[in-house]
Amino acid sequence: MAIPSTPRPQPAQAGPAQAGPAQAGPVPAGAPPAPARAGASVKVRDAIAGYLFIAPFVLVYALFLVTPFLRGIWISLHDWNLLAVAINPDAARFVGARNYVRMLWGEGIVWSADHQVALRLVGLVAVAAVLWAWHRGAVGRGTALAALAAGLLLFGLLLGLHPDEAGRWGDRRFWPIVGNTLTFVGLTVPSVTLVGLALALGLNRDDRISAVLRTAFFLSQVLSVTVVTLIWQLTFSPRQGILGHLFRSLGLEPITWVTDINLAMPAIVIATVWWSLGFAMILFLAGLQEIPNEHYEAARIDGAGLWAVIRHITLPALSRTTTLVVVLQIILHFQVFGQSHLITRGGPNDATQVLVRYIYQTGFRNSELGYASALAIVLFLFMLVFAMLQLRVSRGDD
Amino acid sequence: MAGNRGARRLVTLLLVLAALVWLVPIVWMLSLALQPNELLARTTSNVAWGLVPWPFTLDNLTFVLSQGLTPRWFLNSAIVAVSMTLLVLALSAMAGYAFARIRFPGRRIIYPLVLAGLVIPEQAVFIPLYTMFADWGWHNGYAALVAPRLAVPIGVFLMTQFFRGIPDYIEEAATLDGAGRWTIFTRIMLPLSVPAMVTLAILTFLYAWNDYLWPLVSASRPEMFTITLGLASLQANFADSEGLGRVMASGVLASLPVVLMFLLFQRHVVRGIAMGSGK
Repeated sequence: MAIPSTPRPQPAQAGPAQAGPAQAGPVPAGAPPAPARAGASVKVRDAIAGYLFIAPFVLVYALFLVTPFLRGIWISLHDWNLLAVAINPDAARFVGARNYVRMLWGEGIVWSADHQVALRLVGLVAVAAVLWAWHRGAVGRGTALAALAAGLLLFGLLLGLHPDEAGRWGDRRFWPIVGNTLTFVGLTVPSVTLVGLALALGLNRDDRISAVLRTAFFLSQVLSVTVVTLIWQLTFSPRQGILGHLFRSLGLEPITWVTDINLAMPAIVIATVWWSLGFAMILFLAGLQEIPNEHYEAARIDGAGLWAVIRHITLPALSRTTTLVVVLQIILHFQVFGQSHLITRGGPNDATQVLVRYIYQTGFRNSELGYASALAIVLFLFMLVFAMLQLRVSRGDD
Repeated sequence: MAGNRGARRLVTLLLVLAALVWLVPIVWMLSLALQPNELLARTTSNVAWGLVPWPFTLDNLTFVLSQGLTPRWFLNSAIVAVSMTLLVLALSAMAGYAFARIRFPGRRIIYPLVLAGLVIPEQAVFIPLYTMFADWGWHNGYAALVAPRLAVPIGVFLMTQFFRGIPDYIEEAATLDGAGRWTIFTRIMLPLSVPAMVTLAILTFLYAWNDYLWPLVSASRPEMFTITLGLASLQANFADSEGLGRVMASGVLASLPVVLMFLLFQRHVVRGIAMGSGK
């Protein structure tokens, strides 16, 4: 970096001499003459200083985020074998959108009204609930219309698609894996949100014991995913695990968590809730701090009980925080990898295979970088929807 | 009122019990790390389901500290986490100061473009990054482990927000005294921003120490593993590897820096989470 480590003595401000960082850069010969005087030279100096200050970050940003992102889109349009391209850079073959077609479509795909009808009806009921909330003024018009459009598209149309008897999906594993990822998110996010909210309500006090308890509940959050999986892998072990000891002492048969096709997903959800509860709790505590004390005092004067205060004052005041917690967690848990990779290894029989692990394995075990990149782009698009939602919520538009 | 206090006590009691249950997995890891390997091969529930480390030994901890690759992994993690933290601080503080306080042409376009990077997750770029670094021969080096995180704009966002909150008169006074931008930045703005930088530093350090996916992709030689990655490699075959007690000791060691950092700087961690998520 071309920035002097010690600041130099500055000449009078009006002169053309440049301040520290500006000295390092080229000064355009004969800065703009026009309206002249001090104003113009300050402008030029500010411009140069500004660019020099942001240059290091912008360079790194362009090189390590923007370039790989664009390159990822480019790779996703190729049949790109990791090993073949490593040996011969020309081995990548342009295939256009074929990776995406393989992922999202197949042969003989038809639409029928009664396919997955239960799930779709539940989804449509949820859409109706959002419309009802809009009617009552609980959510804004933008959110309601977005939910309506997305819900009708997803539950009304997309989930009715399936291959006919002769047809098949281009990638039989993709949709079930999306389903697993959504199941993981759908189980983890409400659990973390509810428990986090309950803890925040109980621990929002200024005494010593609440402070200690807050620390205790947050502590697991700072552990790395590999420590968390180390602990829970052993905890779930029927022979060695502490849950097994507990069951045996109650005279029950220990549960084989990670090898049971129905319990493997709950197992990684439990580990994840234990790991990431602190985050939700902290955000709820921050939200609780923002509720003015007068509201509580007014309620107390009115003789409201604890439960009435929580229901009519605390929870309504926390609605924005709750939305934020939910959206942030959806984004976070959609990226689940370590728990599935290390506790259950995606199994049994793909029951806990999730999107990021599928991307990782497609790319680095099967060497199909092109298809893996297409998967990654689709993951990005899923998450973009929720990132936009987060932006709206934190701006407070809604 | 008395009834209310009684209810309050009951809630506190329940919360204390819940916290004890919550801490059981951590206590258990610590306790297993302090029991002899030979015992653990037979049973993990010697005293109180294994929650009391008896018979007690420090052999596992001294073993992983002196033998095998764990010390090397620990060192790698320290190098990666410290250099990543320092670089993120430098880049974010400089860019944040410029975006917040210098009126240069184009900043209203560049800043949103930088923030747009917040929606790009690591998972969307790790494959192309892998191919780029492979072309450059960067893999199995510290630069490859550090560089991708430097481009994540959350630090720039936090520092810009912070510098925007500093009143104008402070800078104006210094400008009248003839101080240049660099002087103002290093002598006035940086000292003022210490609290924000501590927060950013801790969040970056925690992230660097705990990151798993990218090191897994980039570092293939065991000598270049971070402790987080090394611990994953021990788990893969942990029944027959170095013994349960030693694996747990590695886990304890891997957790020690982040747990200590959290206990010392709780306030900053908590504030950082609230700030980083747009509260």
